[in-house]
Amino acid sequence: MSGTRLSLARSTPFRLALTFAFLFVLAFILSGAIVYQLMSDDLSRRLDESIKETYSVVAVTYAESDREDLISTVNDHAQLNADKEQLFSLTDQNGNRLAGNFTASDLPDGFSMFAVRLPGVPPDTMYRAYTGEVGDKNLTVAFSMSDTEELENIVLMSFGWGTLFITGLAVAGGALLASRVQRRLDGIASTMVDVSHGRLDARIPLIGNGDDIDAVSGQVNAALERLSALVDGMREVSANIAHDLKTPLNRLQMILESAADKTVSGEDVSGELTDARAESQQINSTFDALLRIAQIEAGARRARFVDLDVGPVVETIGEVYADVAEDDGKSLSTKVVPDTKWYIHGDRDLLMQMLANLVENALRHCPPGTAIELSVTSGGSHVLIHVSDNGPGIPAEERENVFRRLYRLDTSRTTPGSGLGLSLVKAVADLHGAAIVLEDRNPGLGVTVSFPALKPA
Amino acid sequence: MRLLLVEDDPRTADYIVRGLTEAGHVCDLLRDGHDGLFAATRDAYDVIVADRMVPGLDGLSMIKAVRAAGIRTPAIFLTSIGGVDDRVEGLEAGGDDYLVKPFAFSELLARIHALGRRPAAQEQKTALRVADLEMDLIQRRVTRQGQPIDLQPREFSLLEVLMRGEGRVITRTMLLERVWDFHFDPKTSVVETHISRLRAKVDRPFDVPLIHTVRNTGYSLHVPA
Repeated sequence: MSGTRLSLARSTPFRLALTFAFLFVLAFILSGAIVYQLMSDDLSRRLDESIKETYSVVAVTYAESDREDLISTVNDHAQLNADKEQLFSLTDQNGNRLAGNFTASDLPDGFSMFAVRLPGVPPDTMYRAYTGEVGDKNLTVAFSMSDTEELENIVLMSFGWGTLFITGLAVAGGALLASRVQRRLDGIASTMVDVSHGRLDARIPLIGNGDDIDAVSGQVNAALERLSALVDGMREVSANIAHDLKTPLNRLQMILESAADKTVSGEDVSGELTDARAESQQINSTFDALLRIAQIEAGARRARFVDLDVGPVVETIGEVYADVAEDDGKSLSTKVVPDTKWYIHGDRDLLMQMLANLVENALRHCPPGTAIELSVTSGGSHVLIHVSDNGPGIPAEERENVFRRLYRLDTSRTTPGSGLGLSLVKAVADLHGAAIVLEDRNPGLGVTVSFPALKPA
Repeated sequence: MRLLLVEDDPRTADYIVRGLTEAGHVCDLLRDGHDGLFAATRDAYDVIVADRMVPGLDGLSMIKAVRAAGIRTPAIFLTSIGGVDDRVEGLEAGGDDYLVKPFAFSELLARIHALGRRPAAQEQKTALRVADLEMDLIQRRVTRQGQPIDLQPREFSLLEVLMRGEGRVITRTMLLERVWDFHFDPKTSVVETHISRLRAKVDRPFDVPLIHTVRNTGYSLHVPA
């Protein structure tokens, strides 16, 4: 599993960075091409304008004077341009050069382009020309395009280097960012590998900058936290089941063996059978309670929730258990303000069982003479159900533990009970989104379950 | 009574059939939901006892189909699922009662008796009477030998359930469900406490006790034999 470290090329962040670099370069090239085209068009237009202007200046001399003047003007212009940057040609109708520094042949009227081999001019130099008729002669003015081309080349070159530089920067930056993200992903992956190998205490290291990866990592860590708590719970439950169920199973086996022995000697075994039955019922009820808690925790029951008033539920429990408490030498009083309604969203059956368990818990663990009180109050947006007594209470350090499955205080190991009553209380409260608070009443224990209220009472 | 049992576990089935036969009932056993549905629609039974997990058609669907066919034979579900929703699901499917495995046979028998003798169309009784004990359901008054007995509302319900089942065993669990609407097993002596209060009012002042304890099972209200 540890070999699953991904290569850079296959990592999502790197691919993302690469994609963005590619898109960025593409956009750069595209905008560059547009700029180049615009610039090149503009240069051509300017060149054409100057050619046309020069042509007009030359041509106008003919209109103002005559042929000789034109010839000398053309020759003057031609001589001024010894480097052949500008070419002039004046030909008669047969194509014979009358003046100028080259002979234009077969050039159409208007603008055209041509390459010409001339001494002192680099080969393949392109010229832009304008040809027109001046009287019965053809006048051509041509400008070399080498300046324009050079300018265009410079732009193209700088553009190419720019592209190269940007590509390099984008790829390098992307790789750098990607590798940072990748390192964190690798951290998550290696944590998960650890977890899958059973190291449930492994956690993803957080950077603390609150970014999305940190947020996800935090959530994964929270899930791991819950998972490891559940697994710890399972381990503990298994250990407790081993103890709490094996003990009665052992007893059951001993009873049955003794019954078998007695049968051999023909003695009466009805006592053993009664005991065996009681033991098996105890085992069964423990299993039942475990199953019930598991099902309540699974949460399917929430689909059956209705809006209900907890007042009558509390009153019913108070009524049912008042006599039970009295027979037990204790007292149970119920304080529910009449004509007040405390609406919550919940399941009546489960609430009844929850309250019954809380009351029974108080009855079982308190000495005779204890006063138990059951009441409902309203606390802002919550409906509070209180079950309090003035018995021995629960030591502060044990208060969290009592809700754990099969957990029993050492002092109560010998009293009857499965150690599941309060776990079920917690499961029901959790299902209802209710919080349970245990408090010391000096003396005694106060249990408050606060349910989200449907309407402010 | 003629009973239909749909149960696929041979040992459980054997145990139930033997017990029901000993109790004087005729019991047809089928191991498959489809067969059960066929039998239930073909023959007239007094009570159907159906396991929820049987091959073919599951118990829940079987009872749904039986009800869809317009047959109102009372039905009890046996379930080892023991889930918190089983009761509701069972009742919604058209079952009349449910029992979680493992169960005591006496519990099953008591429930079958309660269902089997239930009048087809619940006749509206206005008064119940067992020997010299009378209950007026309209005025909610109880008298014995003409003397009024003052009962708490819950004690009244408890006595009513016992009187309606006169001569039959009403189990502790049945009382918890019917009187207190408790669908769980309390760990304290809720039933015992209330029965003893009721006895103090109904039986103690008089010569003949009517409420009898059936050991390990429940209670029965009748004139002593």
